[in-house]
Amino acid sequence: MSDPTPAEMNVRPARASLSWVWLVPLLALAVSLFVAWQNYAQRGTLIDIIFQSAEGITAGETVLKFRDVEVGRVEKVSLTADLFDVVVSVRVEKDYAEFIDKDATFWLVQPDVSLRGVTGLETVLSGVFIEGSWDATFTEEAYEFYAEAAAPLSTLDALGTSIVLLMRDGSSIAAGAPILHKGIKVGFLEEPELTLDGPGVRVNGFINFPYDRNLTTATRFWDTSGFSISLGTSGVELDVNSLASLIEGGVAFDTVVSGGEPVSNGFEFDLFTDESAARDSVFTNPNTPVIEVAVLFDGSVKGLTKGSQVQFQGIRVGQVSDLNAVVDDSGDVSTVQLRAVLQIETGRLGMTADVSDEDAIGLLSDLVSQGLRARLSTQNILSGSLVVELRQDDTLPPGRLDLSQRPYPTIPTTADAISDVAQTTEDVLARIENLPVEELMQGAIDLMASVERLTNDENTRAIPSDVAGLIGDARALVSSDEIQQITPNLLATISDLDLLVKSFTEAQLAEGLADALATTSNAAQNVASGTENLPQISDQLEALIANINALELAALVAEATETLERVDTLFASDAVAGLPASVETTLADARSVLAGAEAFISSEDLTALPTDLRATIATINSVAAEIDEANVTEQLVSAIESANNAAKSIETASDGLPKVVEELDKLATSANELALDELVASATQTLSSIDGLVGAEGMDELPQSLNTSVAEIERLLADLRNGGAIENLNLALTSAAEAAQAIETAADALPQLAARADALVRQTQSVVEGYSERSRFNTETLATLRDIQEAADAISSLARTIQRNPSSLLTGR
Amino acid sequence: MQVFDLGSVGSTTELTTAREAGLVACRRCGQVEAMSTSHCRRCGGKLRSRDTQSLQKVWAWLIAGMIAYIPANLYPMLITDSITHKSSSTIIGGVIELVDLGSVGIAIVIFVASVMIPVGKFLAIGYLAISVHRKSTLNMHQRNVLFDVVEFIGRWSMIDVFVVAILSALVQLEAVATINPGIAAVSFALSVVFTMLAAQSFDPRMIWDASKGQA
Repeated sequence: MSDPTPAEMNVRPARASLSWVWLVPLLALAVSLFVAWQNYAQRGTLIDIIFQSAEGITAGETVLKFRDVEVGRVEKVSLTADLFDVVVSVRVEKDYAEFIDKDATFWLVQPDVSLRGVTGLETVLSGVFIEGSWDATFTEEAYEFYAEAAAPLSTLDALGTSIVLLMRDGSSIAAGAPILHKGIKVGFLEEPELTLDGPGVRVNGFINFPYDRNLTTATRFWDTSGFSISLGTSGVELDVNSLASLIEGGVAFDTVVSGGEPVSNGFEFDLFTDESAARDSVFTNPNTPVIEVAVLFDGSVKGLTKGSQVQFQGIRVGQVSDLNAVVDDSGDVSTVQLRAVLQIETGRLGMTADVSDEDAIGLLSDLVSQGLRARLSTQNILSGSLVVELRQDDTLPPGRLDLSQRPYPTIPTTADAISDVAQTTEDVLARIENLPVEELMQGAIDLMASVERLTNDENTRAIPSDVAGLIGDARALVSSDEIQQITPNLLATISDLDLLVKSFTEAQLAEGLADALATTSNAAQNVASGTENLPQISDQLEALIANINALELAALVAEATETLERVDTLFASDAVAGLPASVETTLADARSVLAGAEAFISSEDLTALPTDLRATIATINSVAAEIDEANVTEQLVSAIESANNAAKSIETASDGLPKVVEELDKLATSANELALDELVASATQTLSSIDGLVGAEGMDELPQSLNTSVAEIERLLADLRNGGAIENLNLALTSAAEAAQAIETAADALPQLAARADALVRQTQSVVEGYSERSRFNTETLATLRDIQEAADAISSLARTIQRNPSSLLTGR
Repeated sequence: MQVFDLGSVGSTTELTTAREAGLVACRRCGQVEAMSTSHCRRCGGKLRSRDTQSLQKVWAWLIAGMIAYIPANLYPMLITDSITHKSSSTIIGGVIELVDLGSVGIAIVIFVASVMIPVGKFLAIGYLAISVHRKSTLNMHQRNVLFDVVEFIGRWSMIDVFVVAILSALVQLEAVATINPGIAAVSFALSVVFTMLAAQSFDPRMIWDASKGQA
């Protein structure tokens, strides 16, 4: 067996080329380097925050948050070199770190349970974290910060306005106390701190957007801390705000008036103690200049406190800023006086705002020299609180503002005007005590007993029944037919009188009668004198008739006939055509006459009866007076005498009459013989002409004229209604009043009537008693009494009716 | 007939390599073929008497593994989120934590698997590569054993990655507790993979070539 020949080695030379595997470490290296570089490049900025204590902070775990977004992580927690503080190094992400400047603030967020709520609850599980606050503008770079002890209430980036409140003490305000506006929480207060330069306390507050828009310089803040109980005339008032403000305190604000300027951050407001004070202050400038003067009171100033008002003539001009006692040892004996320091707002005294203190004191000094005095005055009699009143009294001798008193000039005082309600009440009570109450009561008791006795008396008890009987009698009287008849009769009489007076008035009787009588008298005298010549006349008449007889009557008749013919022609002529117009005129005259008559008639209203009655009576009176004046009677007598004379004369004269008659007879005979027939024919023709005239056109217008006349009459009546009626009504009412008065007067006579009636009743009663056994009589008597009762009812209703409506007496209704 | 005197173990001077015998062995299935054969007749694998780029590959993988091992130790392996706490621990941090908690055994296991083995592998592979490069003839048998150990143990160093993978998969209780793998887990896994590749790239036959070269 041959040894196996070693195969030919196929050895390839080792290649110097690099393996592709090298790419792997290169890639790994590249990736690693890239990651490392990126890590380094993105590594945030390291800042140091210095805390008092690192409670809960863990390196690598505790995060830094900004608006609850994690922006960094604590890398290291270490102590400062002096072991006094803890330095927490925080790696802040690069993107956010660039905004962290020296204004940035940091604080530790821990669970916080307070009245305002629970905050930071998430840190219970997750552990504390650091919260940062910074704004988006970078000012100055910083890498070391001191952490805030507590979360600031207002962060730098929050929208809103920060303000400063100045107050007297900060006891009622705790950090975080709410700022309320109309009851809504709109902001916070921070920790109050003492002002370095003054006695007050200042506290920073922050008001969130958009409520800070309501802030102006006219805004007023007041303290709403706790609760307030005020006892006043309106009762007890309990004012409690929110629970938080009850314990933590709080302030509220409101802008009561417009016109304030918008405020910028850090504006300082005064904090008022309560809302009313804040509102009162709206109309005053809190920065108004004041001068301080003192008043020294000898007596007690109990009721006067710091803050009490200072009033000038009733107007508040300032307040009491201090009260203390000073020892005055200028005299022999040291006396203690009470000094009230008054802050007087010069603006309230009418001075300009920029007046200097010296000028203000000067003006005050002038006022004092003119009688200005200070005195205590009661403000509230219930609480006894006092005010200092500056009172100008010109009657006082000129005073002097004591400028020597230090540190305040002193105003002289005058008598206090304190009304001590307690003392007054005591006096009143004392007087009441001194009143003779027992005697008064005894007198009253006696009076009561007397009254009782009086009322128990039988006579007194009989009075009502007597009165009832009396009234019954009166009723019977009134309801009797005679009395009932009075009214119509009275009315009839009044109408008659009215008619009479009307005719009197119409005829103007008084004068007319006088004139008529005078005329009659004259006529009678003339007749008398005339009849003296009557015989002669008769003779002459005889002669005349003889002459007539001798006349040529035929010619006369012919002439008359001719005349009538002419008249005829006249009627037929145009001139006569104008006659209707004349007739119309005549009718107008007639209308006016009618108007007069209507005016008179329209005054005859029934309601005007009393007036007319009175007028009639007056007229009658005046007629009578005129008759008296005119010596009508005498004239009448003389007239009658004259008539008598005339009659006698006629009697004598008639002796010659038969002759005259005979002559006339002759004349008539002659006349009979005349051609009267023609005359009659002419007259007939004349009448027919007149007929034609009446039938002419003009006459047709007559009815229209009459209508017009009637319309005028109507208008006249309307005028009368409008015009005279009211007057008449007034007169009627006056008359009614008079009538009522007359009735009243008549009623005055009623007592007598009552007395008589009473007597009548008594008699009736006695009669009734006498006949009480006889039932029929009794019944009749009762019926009679009933009638009387009814009569009394009737008269009472009548009386009531008259009382209500006096005119019914006149109208008969 | 040539007698192959395999001789006693520990002496290599008389050893005849396959290469000298004109043979080449398949590294996957162990089939021995003639030197000229290019592919294994049994498994079809490519037959090479020596991998000329072996050392390059070893170094390359080794360096990659070492690079990957750096972030694996710097970055957190596990990120644990619980309600109250969020913690992330590196490999060494976790070991120390476990020791602090008293779990020394687990700490040792993790320390060995995650620190000792990877580091040991780096050192071993580096030593093997250097010794081959220098054609050192010392301790040839021991080095061969060392290589075997390295190759065998390499996969076990993934134990840390497995722990992280299992925990991440199991502990996902949302709000209460969550465990997530950190960057270190990936890095560590890569490092292990790279190291294994480095070990695989090493051609242990080259250990013996040094003696031949000297002879």
